[in-house]
Amino acid sequence: MNPLLAQFLAEAADLLTQVDEGLLQLERTPGDPEMVNEVFRAAHTFKGSSGLFDFPELTRLTHAAEDLLDAVRAGALPLDSGMTDDLLAAFDLIRGWLAHVTSNECLPATAGADAAALITRLRAPIGGEKVKVETTVAVARRDSAPAWLAYFDEEWLAETAAWLRTTSAQMRFIRYVPDSGCFFRAEDPLHLIRQVPALERLGLIEPVEWPEAADYDEYACMVAFVFAARAAVGEIDYLFRYVSDQIEVVDLDGDTIQRYLSGEAEADAAAPSEADEPGTVDTVRSSPSEPELVADARAILTAALRSLAINPTGHVHLVSVANAITAAAHALGDPVEIREPDVVALTATVTRLLGDTPPPEDAVSTAPIEPIPVDRGRADDPGGQVGSRILKVDQEKVDHLMELVGELNVAKNGLTFLAQAAEEEFGSRALSRRIKDQYSGLHRIAEELQASVMDIRMLPLSVAFSRFPRLVRDLSRRLGKNIELVLTGEDTMADKDVIEALGDPLVHLVRNSLDHGVETVDERLATGKPGTARITLAAVADGDAVVVEISDDGRGVDPTRVRRKAYEKGLISEEELETLSDSDAVDLVFRPGFSTAEQISDLSGRGVGMDAVRASVEKLGGAVTMRSELGSGTTVRLRLPLSMAVTQVMVFSVAGQRFGIPVDLVVETVRVPAAEMSRVLHQDVVVLRGEVVPVLDLARALDMPWTPDQTQDRAILIVGVNGQRVGLLVEQFHREVDVILKPMEGLLAYANEFSGTALLGDGLVLLVLNMKEVLGLAARVG
Amino acid sequence: MPLELGDTTATLTGVVTVDEVEELAAWLQATAKPRVNLRKCNHLHTGALQAMLRFRPKVSAAPTDAFLAGQVLPLLEGSGGEPTRQGSEPP
Repeated sequence: MNPLLAQFLAEAADLLTQVDEGLLQLERTPGDPEMVNEVFRAAHTFKGSSGLFDFPELTRLTHAAEDLLDAVRAGALPLDSGMTDDLLAAFDLIRGWLAHVTSNECLPATAGADAAALITRLRAPIGGEKVKVETTVAVARRDSAPAWLAYFDEEWLAETAAWLRTTSAQMRFIRYVPDSGCFFRAEDPLHLIRQVPALERLGLIEPVEWPEAADYDEYACMVAFVFAARAAVGEIDYLFRYVSDQIEVVDLDGDTIQRYLSGEAEADAAAPSEADEPGTVDTVRSSPSEPELVADARAILTAALRSLAINPTGHVHLVSVANAITAAAHALGDPVEIREPDVVALTATVTRLLGDTPPPEDAVSTAPIEPIPVDRGRADDPGGQVGSRILKVDQEKVDHLMELVGELNVAKNGLTFLAQAAEEEFGSRALSRRIKDQYSGLHRIAEELQASVMDIRMLPLSVAFSRFPRLVRDLSRRLGKNIELVLTGEDTMADKDVIEALGDPLVHLVRNSLDHGVETVDERLATGKPGTARITLAAVADGDAVVVEISDDGRGVDPTRVRRKAYEKGLISEEELETLSDSDAVDLVFRPGFSTAEQISDLSGRGVGMDAVRASVEKLGGAVTMRSELGSGTTVRLRLPLSMAVTQVMVFSVAGQRFGIPVDLVVETVRVPAAEMSRVLHQDVVVLRGEVVPVLDLARALDMPWTPDQTQDRAILIVGVNGQRVGLLVEQFHREVDVILKPMEGLLAYANEFSGTALLGDGLVLLVLNMKEVLGLAARVG
Repeated sequence: MPLELGDTTATLTGVVTVDEVEELAAWLQATAKPRVNLRKCNHLHTGALQAMLRFRPKVSAAPTDAFLAGQVLPLLEGSGGEPTRQGSEPP
């Protein structure tokens, strides 16, 4: 489905509810201007958005509802319960239509008829003026034939009468009396008649007495015509649109003509003959709508719209279409003037006309319009589904759901322990097996549940990006820099926690780019760059991580200056000053206490540097890297887990106590014979594939008494922290588990060496290590 | 030129517009027994038709145009112009 339509349907469901509630409330407290306004606005929005799609009936119906509500809003009408019923019925009908649209992408075939009835009802209280379409040509259906039938050939008339009687059909008879000065207005009556489609017969009304040859004025029109045709009213009306006061149209059936021919109508004819006097014909501007005419006009408009869509160019074509539209509009009693036909204006006009005109209920019925029973949707009618329903749920509820999923996971994991106990303690293998079967079923459901809850929490990155266009615009004006912001991959999805946590680091990085990265226009032009700088925010999904890059084409980071600055601030030694590679030097900007900006501006440099960015991203379980080339720009790359809700941890034990460590950090696990451990500079090391890896005694770092069994191999967990490998001496490796990490709170909040706790399936609390802090601790202890 | 006025016969070709009406009327008036060739005539302006109705020239060649031949020619060849029944008087 067209995304625009999908969005419309989703919004429509909301709007419908809003209207329903508003109307019901209005009924209880009539005249609440605020409420009327609200319902009106909803109807208005509905009408507006429905115009985007090809649902003319929907537009017309909402238009009628909107007009009624507008009258109520203006205080012209009090809203009574009858109107409320009609309005509710209208919106129920719309609900039904939209359900149809949701499944079929089109309105039901009965939409036009359903709408027409309701529109009539809705318009009735406000005078119903829109329904009554003024027409210029009155088609009289008379039982007596007009006297001017005499001007037709009698023989033909008799044949026609017989034919019409046999077929119970009618024919349209028209008398056209051009005024005498018509030649001067470039009118050619015969030419008009020539264009009448399906012309059956032409008759001539000659002057009774021709003037003398000498007095004959060839420029005075003295003749008049009668003709019979099977042309539609709209066609006649169109052709004779400029002389509509000079024609008279009647539809006659065979019987009437026959009666006329047999002389029955003679007496009748005498009386109206005065009115029939050519030139004094007074065509009544008919007030009741002529359904056939409206239908014809609508057909013309629809055709015009189609023709505009197919062939939107060509002046001649447009002019003719414009003419057709003008005529149709005239017939609909809504004259429009089209001076310079162009596609857009014409299309708009036609759409408006079509929107304003309900299709006639019945093309032939001339009976007084009886109240049409409206099939009101009952409130208990299921009514179908409009759009895909969108729930707005409080974030806390989703969070709570996530917690429950976590608890379920823990409870589920308990079953494996139970199975173990059944086998080992109670010696029942069969029971153990059955418990395991139950476990696998539960596991599958829990996994699915977790996946769907996670999915609920997913948000597009555009949420995090949305504030930047404004921020960049404001800041660039303030700094006098020309900056173009490019956003890509905004539809990449990530967990809402990640998106939220990403906000501050991103703002900081973008500000940094604006402030330090991008040069002023003059500086840029001097170095041969375009005056307008470009900052790109790009997001891309990468497995179970999302990568966000902030890049600019500014001056880049000067590694020499960074090195010098770091040295001056005592962040690196003199030795490092000499040996640090350029890329490592760039990385120095993430060190705490580093700030290269010469001048502290109010944008960045508020004492929080890049170290703050790195810290907050790492807290999310992500990583920050910076790549920069002097003179051509800087790219900062953030890599974040898609979801923070569930963390995969590796469980191991030290001195009999179990600990966890995020699996992301684990490089490998190795067992090394005790003899292969060596000591270099008071530091235990192990040589792995030619690389010397320092080994920390975790028990010692955590101040837990434990002496490794000298005869056994050492279990060493190799982790990668800050790009360096460190080995942790542990007692035993366990399995990997998915846990929901809870932050250290309350009395334990000070314990920085743990990033959080998690509950294991057997009820044990697992402490998850914060490796950075642990390394720091080990360094202090060591 | 839609109008070719001979001594006794006028040949009307193509579309006879209002511009030709005066010339045709004058010719019809001045010619004793006018004959009109309508074979190649595609349309007659109402004024031309009216002039022909007034002066009743003999149509020497019927038009090939369907509308003129089918609907207009019978009027020109009508029975002296008086309709069979007359309910009202044209101006």
